[in-house]
Amino acid sequence: MLDFLVWLAEGFIGLFIAGGDVFVSLVTGIVPLLIILLTFVNALIALIGPERIDRVGEWAARDGAIYYPIRYILLPFLATFFLTNPMAYTMGRFLPEKYKPAFYDAAVSYVHPPTGIFPHINPGELFVWLGIAAGIETLGLSVVPLAVRYLLIGLVVIFIRGIVTENITNVMWARRTATAKAAV
Amino acid sequence: MQAVNSFLVAMGRGVGGVVGALYQAGREAIDQIIVNILPFMAFIALVIGIILETGIGDLIANALAPLAGSVVGLIVISLICALPILSPLLGPGAVIAQVVGTLLGSTLIAGGTIHPSLALPALFAINPQVGCDFIPVGLALGEAEPETVEVGVPAILFSRMVTGPIAVILAWLASFGLYADFAG
Repeated sequence: MLDFLVWLAEGFIGLFIAGGDVFVSLVTGIVPLLIILLTFVNALIALIGPERIDRVGEWAARDGAIYYPIRYILLPFLATFFLTNPMAYTMGRFLPEKYKPAFYDAAVSYVHPPTGIFPHINPGELFVWLGIAAGIETLGLSVVPLAVRYLLIGLVVIFIRGIVTENITNVMWARRTATAKAAV
Repeated sequence: MQAVNSFLVAMGRGVGGVVGALYQAGREAIDQIIVNILPFMAFIALVIGIILETGIGDLIANALAPLAGSVVGLIVISLICALPILSPLLGPGAVIAQVVGTLLGSTLIAGGTIHPSLALPALFAINPQVGCDFIPVGLALGEAEPETVEVGVPAILFSRMVTGPIAVILAWLASFGLYADFAG
């Protein structure tokens, strides 16, 4: 009976010993790098001045196919890099109403892909990346090739997402206006 | 003498500004670590500890392997997460994406059950719901009209049904050659 209790207690405390080991390896492995990197990027942003990207916002508001990459690649990238999650979405204020949902969609979809290299963008949600990356590290592989591809493909994905959402928004808006007119 | 003086004053001011920005950046970095990063690391460490010690990890790995082990399975995962009824529920804090990412990373990828190159499409498969819980707030940050929010919420949710799987396929195509020399 006592043996069973001891066995049970050992199993119980074993969970937390294992969890503690994981915690220590996270804190010693990742946190020092994060502190220095966050300090550097925070200083960089303060010295450059985040208000400078306002002009990109005004630029991205224009109609025409040429401005798609600016609105759904360049602006979300700069907004998430300099303003981070969630202030990045305030850049939508420069855009006409019809582009706002698509811009939000593109920007919010880019708060995880760059976190392998720029963790300051979303420090509270790092484990979307870190969780998967931990497995790669266990295999003894470098996570950097994966981080770079995640960042780059993220740009392609938000570009497509912006265009698709913009079109769906247009269709729904037209339908809404039509029903409003029919009701009158 | 006057010129030397004003030069010294200007330089002192410049250096002071940079040092001040760096110091403030360090303070922000430590704040971010304590407020955002360490609490989530504690939570993740507990989850991993339980997974490793109890053997639940093997069960989860066996259950997930058929889905997460192939591109088609990953597309199915992205479709489920992108369902307009589910996506706003799965979104908050990206907790679901982070836990699932950690599960995939610490079981299937670390164990070599699935090839490390699949980590790239997996990163997109677990996250088509990103920001779906936050659309009204995100649009409000962009100073959107109430009408824009009414149209924008369903537009983004429906768009994810299309762009979620597209993101997985793009990431899969981009994963060719990643960790090619890993034999596992």
